Amino acid sequence: MSDRLLALSGNSAARSLARTVGMSLPPRLERDPAPWAEAPLVGRTIQVLLGPGAALAGTLAGSLARLGAEVGVHGGDLAPFAAAGEAWARAAYTLEGEVEKRAWALLIDATGVGDVAGLRFLWEAVSPRLRGLAPSGRVVVLGRPAEAVTTPAARAARRALDGYTRSLARELGRTGATANLVTVPDGAEDRLHGVLHFLLSPRSAYVSGQPWALSDALPAAFSGARPLDGRVALVTGAARGIGEATARALAREGAKVIVHDHPSAKAEVDAIAAELRGVGVVADLATAEGRAALAAAVGPLDIVVQNAGVTRDKTLGRMPAELWDLVLAVNLDAVLDLAERLAPTLAPGGAMVCLSSIGGIGGNVGQTNYAATKAGVIGLVEAWAPVCAARGVSVSAVAPGFIETRMTAAIPFATREVARRLSNVSQGGLPEDIAEVVVFLASPAGRALTGRILRVCGGNLLGA
Amino acid sequence: MTRALLCGGARIPFVRSFAEYTELDTIALGVLAVRGALEKAGLRQEDVDAVIWGGVVLPPTAPNVGREIVLDLGMPARIEARTVTRACASGLQAITDAVAAVERGDADVIIAGGSDSTSNAALTMPESLIRKVGPVVMGKKAGMGAYLGLATRLSLTKDLLPRQPRVAERSTGQLMGEAAEDMARRHGITREAQDALAVRSHQRAFAAWESGRFDAEVVPVTLPDGRVISRDTVLRGDTTIEALAKLRPAFGKKGEGTLTAANSTPLTDGAAAVIVASEAAAARLGLTPLAAVRSWAYVGVDPADQLLIGPALAMPKALARAGLELGDIDRVDLHEAFAAVVLCVQKALASDAFARERLGRDRAVGVIDEARLNVHGGSVALGHPFGATGARMVLTMARELHLTGAKTALLGICAAGGLGAAAVLERV
Repeated sequence: MSDRLLALSGNSAARSLARTVGMSLPPRLERDPAPWAEAPLVGRTIQVLLGPGAALAGTLAGSLARLGAEVGVHGGDLAPFAAAGEAWARAAYTLEGEVEKRAWALLIDATGVGDVAGLRFLWEAVSPRLRGLAPSGRVVVLGRPAEAVTTPAARAARRALDGYTRSLARELGRTGATANLVTVPDGAEDRLHGVLHFLLSPRSAYVSGQPWALSDALPAAFSGARPLDGRVALVTGAARGIGEATARALAREGAKVIVHDHPSAKAEVDAIAAELRGVGVVADLATAEGRAALAAAVGPLDIVVQNAGVTRDKTLGRMPAELWDLVLAVNLDAVLDLAERLAPTLAPGGAMVCLSSIGGIGGNVGQTNYAATKAGVIGLVEAWAPVCAARGVSVSAVAPGFIETRMTAAIPFATREVARRLSNVSQGGLPEDIAEVVVFLASPAGRALTGRILRVCGGNLLGA
Repeated sequence: MTRALLCGGARIPFVRSFAEYTELDTIALGVLAVRGALEKAGLRQEDVDAVIWGGVVLPPTAPNVGREIVLDLGMPARIEARTVTRACASGLQAITDAVAAVERGDADVIIAGGSDSTSNAALTMPESLIRKVGPVVMGKKAGMGAYLGLATRLSLTKDLLPRQPRVAERSTGQLMGEAAEDMARRHGITREAQDALAVRSHQRAFAAWESGRFDAEVVPVTLPDGRVISRDTVLRGDTTIEALAKLRPAFGKKGEGTLTAANSTPLTDGAAAVIVASEAAAARLGLTPLAAVRSWAYVGVDPADQLLIGPALAMPKALARAGLELGDIDRVDLHEAFAAVVLCVQKALASDAFARERLGRDRAVGVIDEARLNVHGGSVALGHPFGATGARMVLTMARELHLTGAKTALLGICAAGGLGAAAVLERV
């Protein structure tokens, strides 16, 4: 299960040896296991590159000052950044020529880009600064939704940001840096702070090459520290792997966690629940009785994380009926049923987060059953999101890529090794990487992504 | 509700650590200050109800320094005492606690103050040693084998060398000087401005001594060897900007530092005490009320960001609670942990952006008139015994109001852990 290449890259002698023979070792990703902080960017430098007609300077200035960043500005007015920084004695300066300081992140405001000429700044301003980007750093491209304009030139220019960001993400991967595109609808600017709080932090380590299409379906809200204080959260399938990591992360941010898994994992469930000062519940979600029992046992909830799932891989021609039926029952039927039972009861301000998979987006050999259910979850999220929005509840999904868990450890060596290296960062993600994104989506800030499916895959080639 | 009045007090000269006071621990220093306060005010021990004492480096075997002072001074045993700790705001904390207790009717007369003796800080052994040795020595009966096994497991460097005491933040590991250096850089505070403030602090403190102002609030100390200490030993009346400019930076990257030994406070030993009495008790006992505490405020900020900016948030809060604006204030006394911190706090208070974002005000709190700021010097010149500084500031400002006709004084103190403290004194 352990990634030997990644372990090797922690050794400087091995790194230099590998360089000599022309081999590259996967980068070590910077992560942050500590609880959320109001100002996670203290001590980090962010370079803001303002494109022609950039609309977000004021929003970014206030946000970055509050997040604790020192800000270098290129291509626009320094004044809003200097004014916002003054309150916190955070420096803001105009970027000139070569890179003076190693930047943790490049924040590219491309909201004003409306034609091919406007796109040139994506080369001109960004190209010379990539060398100064820190390992595990961030590039965030900010745009407007393409579908909001009708002229071909403008729509093409907005759409261009997507391919640009995905390609940049691939190029940056070997240093552990990520690139993502955030599209901000007109009037949804107040959602950006919470999104940047997460995306610019080391918590988003394994999210790369993704479009983050912000939604204004729910009112903006944000809480920088202990965002889930006092919330009650149910995590299904939480005895191990992603579910366990999610339960831990939710508890860390203040939630009271109900830890669920199959009755066969009762010992693990009880141990985790006790450790997190939560509640343990076991139920077999493959049966309607089990689901009814779970729904009856939990009481009022703020957050549901539908994580429980199984794989039973076989190519379709060789797949026996029971494997098909089991996977469909646990991964989709049960998820639909639990959504039906729990989503309408979630308190306003609450959230349902479902676990999809990049297999459900890109498909995978031997996983017709699994991929069908994981794509089905996307449909479920899209159907529930508008219904729940009316009650102030957000619904979204995470689609993990290759994550180092007991499930993936069972994959044959060669296949596993290839799957790991398929991502931009040449390594699998950790359960904690998914857990951090789930916490974000379940938090007030995550409401900006209601109805969305966020891939957490290190920019995996699969289905991209 | 009765009003608590500040009725005088005393401090001993502040002395650079590991020098003249090395033989006197924080309790002994406290005894000297409390005795001085009683004598100067003409207050009898039996009229005191309680002692509230501030301290930072507390003796591990007797952390309730206040109580030990009562006992060592031979005060009546019924006089109860407690010791409070809030880093460098501990001395002010003791006084605001005393004011609250008197105003609530818990006591009529309280001696409040603080002391510290960095010279007598206990060296601590690593916790790993305690964890290894404890179970064998203190636990259930252990055989010879357990002791032998223990001997083989102890490492000289990891377990047996005492930890060096450092003025470092527990949560971030940052030295306080590094934090101040970082703040100076972020606020654009120059070495020259810091040195100028330091020189002014020395000149004003020296003038206060020369004019006799401090004679009335400082009691000389006779050392065990017979020598007498009658003035603060950190103070240099003849210092100049040129002399300070020659010093090497103490923190920060090579060539970039702006903080030096001269524009920072040195480790200092000392003690200060103030008498807090109800209006009725003050009249009954014939005490001379100097001032009252009109309001106070304590705040916390992120220690990883600007560790020592607290006063910039606490002072506006105390002002608001007093119903006053900065313009109404006749004297401002800001603790000079580092000259740079005073300058940073001044800058923040003068900023509209700071007021809007951090204080919820439309306009800046205001510019502090230099003629009203630290009029008799500050910690850079006088030294900074952690627990005593707040009481020293209250004592000097209460007397300032009493002697000059000034009506109000605003105090601000930064403290470890990202704490800030402030108080507004008014003339009575």
